[in-house]
Amino acid sequence: MTLSDPQAPAGKLSRPAIEIDNLNKWFGSYHALRDVSLTVGEQEIMVVCGPSGSGKSTLIRCLNHLEEYQEGRICVFGQELARDQKSDRFIHQTMGMVFQNFNLFPHLTVLQNCTLGLTWLRKKTESEARDIAMGLLERVGIEHLADRFPGQLSGGQQQRVAISRSLAMDPKIMLFDEPTSALDPEMVKEVLDVMVKLAETGMTMVCVTHEMQFARQVADRVVFMQDGEIVEVGPPEQVLLHPQWDRTREFLNHIL
Amino acid sequence: MSEQKLKHFVPTPPRLPATNEQNLLRRIQKQCFNSIGNSLLTISVLVLIYYVAKSFLDWAVFNAVWNAATRRECMDISPDGACWAGVIDWFNGLIYGRYPDEEQWRVNGGVVMGLLWLLPLMNRRIAYRNSILISWITLYPFLGAYMFLGGTFGQDVGIIHMVFTSLAAGYFILLYLNWMLCAAGQSSLPERVTPLTSKLFRRGQHMNGFLLVWAVLSILCGVALAQVNLEPVPVDRWGGLFLTLIIASFAITMSIPVGILLALGRRSKLPVIHWLSMMLIELVRAVPLITVLFMAVTLLPIFLPSGAEPDKLSQVLFAVCLFAGAYMAENIRGGLQAIPDGQYEAAQTLGLGYWLTMGLIILPQAMRLMIPNIMTSFISMLKDTTLVSIIGLFDIMLMARNISNDKNWIGLHTEPLALISILFFVMCYGMSQYSLNLEKRLKAHRS
Repeated sequence: MTLSDPQAPAGKLSRPAIEIDNLNKWFGSYHALRDVSLTVGEQEIMVVCGPSGSGKSTLIRCLNHLEEYQEGRICVFGQELARDQKSDRFIHQTMGMVFQNFNLFPHLTVLQNCTLGLTWLRKKTESEARDIAMGLLERVGIEHLADRFPGQLSGGQQQRVAISRSLAMDPKIMLFDEPTSALDPEMVKEVLDVMVKLAETGMTMVCVTHEMQFARQVADRVVFMQDGEIVEVGPPEQVLLHPQWDRTREFLNHIL
Repeated sequence: MSEQKLKHFVPTPPRLPATNEQNLLRRIQKQCFNSIGNSLLTISVLVLIYYVAKSFLDWAVFNAVWNAATRRECMDISPDGACWAGVIDWFNGLIYGRYPDEEQWRVNGGVVMGLLWLLPLMNRRIAYRNSILISWITLYPFLGAYMFLGGTFGQDVGIIHMVFTSLAAGYFILLYLNWMLCAAGQSSLPERVTPLTSKLFRRGQHMNGFLLVWAVLSILCGVALAQVNLEPVPVDRWGGLFLTLIIASFAITMSIPVGILLALGRRSKLPVIHWLSMMLIELVRAVPLITVLFMAVTLLPIFLPSGAEPDKLSQVLFAVCLFAGAYMAENIRGGLQAIPDGQYEAAQTLGLGYWLTMGLIILPQAMRLMIPNIMTSFISMLKDTTLVSIIGLFDIMLMARNISNDKNWIGLHTEPLALISILFFVMCYGMSQYSLNLEKRLKAHRS
């Protein structure tokens, strides 16, 4: 059993952003998360990897209240989450999430996808919202597609829209649930580039991904999960190049 | 080094698609006369069509009588032809029922006003299109009812009805003033007033300007309408196509909100709401419309305190609305089930609550998916409204049957029914074409 390992780079753990303490979750009788404890520091980039079914997606969906959990506690910036799945305004204001399947709203244009939350929740006027959204779309390099509908875009472009849509709400933490797994190889890079740029701005990020190149490049720590447990946590050079556990090495041999 | 050795890829230029062009004759030959059996079939169908069309046209056009005083006269002129003279004689009755002749302009006016209210929706670039639709559903009925019912402000018209009629009239005028100013490239009235209101109030500037202009216009309209004295026409004088359209449009417009609420209720996690919606839907769907109508007319007054008995039209409207809503709820529920979970999750992570998620994300998509089914329901509702003739409302069906009781036109059944068949066909076909058009337009940007 390896618990959370505070081997984060100095200066980054000034203040914990997310504290997960002995989290347990069952789907029916299936024990999906087993005593998961982990602390993510502010401005830290955390990459979660592991074979499919290891509970990594479930973990970050718990963070965002998309799944309820049965035991343990999660604190975000010191505030504890309710355990049952109720929409929690604080959480959704603090965290943005990017999904594997983009989940853009197909009946709205790219721009409307990004301004929706701003006009309806942040009570911005239409022109303010438009300015913010266009700025973000520019940052991810698709401002020229603002008036298209998601169905007219490639996967990589859609995922970049999804990232801007989340960023528009000005979250403190971004969660990425396998953001590149549904993409053609040629489009993976454009999404990763956006994520690297985002990491450079000091955003706290938790990414479930198999892109080890990305992990090596920007991650502060890498978490390896197996069967609902955290096997290994540490800086990328350590976990990816000199893993302590046989299971980690086996997994890395498969995907690298 | 190695890059120099690589060959440069040049894409092959595209070609036009290979065609196997055929002229019309060739196509007909290939599709209709490609074997002896098919040739025989084609010929016999053509002959059949010819006979049916010929005998119908002979009856309806060539041998028809257009001018006559009585059915007897018709028979004398042309025994094999249609006697349209009777229908023409009764035409006003078919359209307006027993509405007084000299007041019929009010029906025309009210209906035209309702259509004009919706006209700005044709312009797709107009702002706040939703609010126009919502105002049409919530405000227009009051204005329409005032036009149709008549009466004087303060006497026959109740205070609530007075207020809403004035609000509706004010909104209608504001709508057109704004549209005209907008078309002329000027800033709209609320925008002009906003500087004034922003001095009075602090927040929600745009909204305040709009509300102020609306209130002023409504008061002006109220004062103007109070001077007008419309002859009261009680509901039991309404009839004909006019009444059919009122019932049908009420059923169609109310079925959407009622259906949405029932569908959401049925999917609700709260047990009381879930069971109530489900019971209501299943109960209404398991019973024929005619039974629902009879129940509304006979049972509803029992539940209401004595003296508060509503008129027959209100009871019928209530029943039709319930019936249409229950059917619509199942349509909408089908659409809701087709929306993937990811949409709910994405909305949730943005922080949209239940009603915003439903209103902005889920329902717009679900409704689009269900357009064909919803339109089918609308069409059957329009046709089903003819059943109200059975409980004694003088809708177009009952008026048509009444023609044959007129002593001048005794026994004239076929022609009025033929006319309303044509009328209904035109209306229903129009609706179905509109829905096809809508589907095409909404699909254009989806794939």
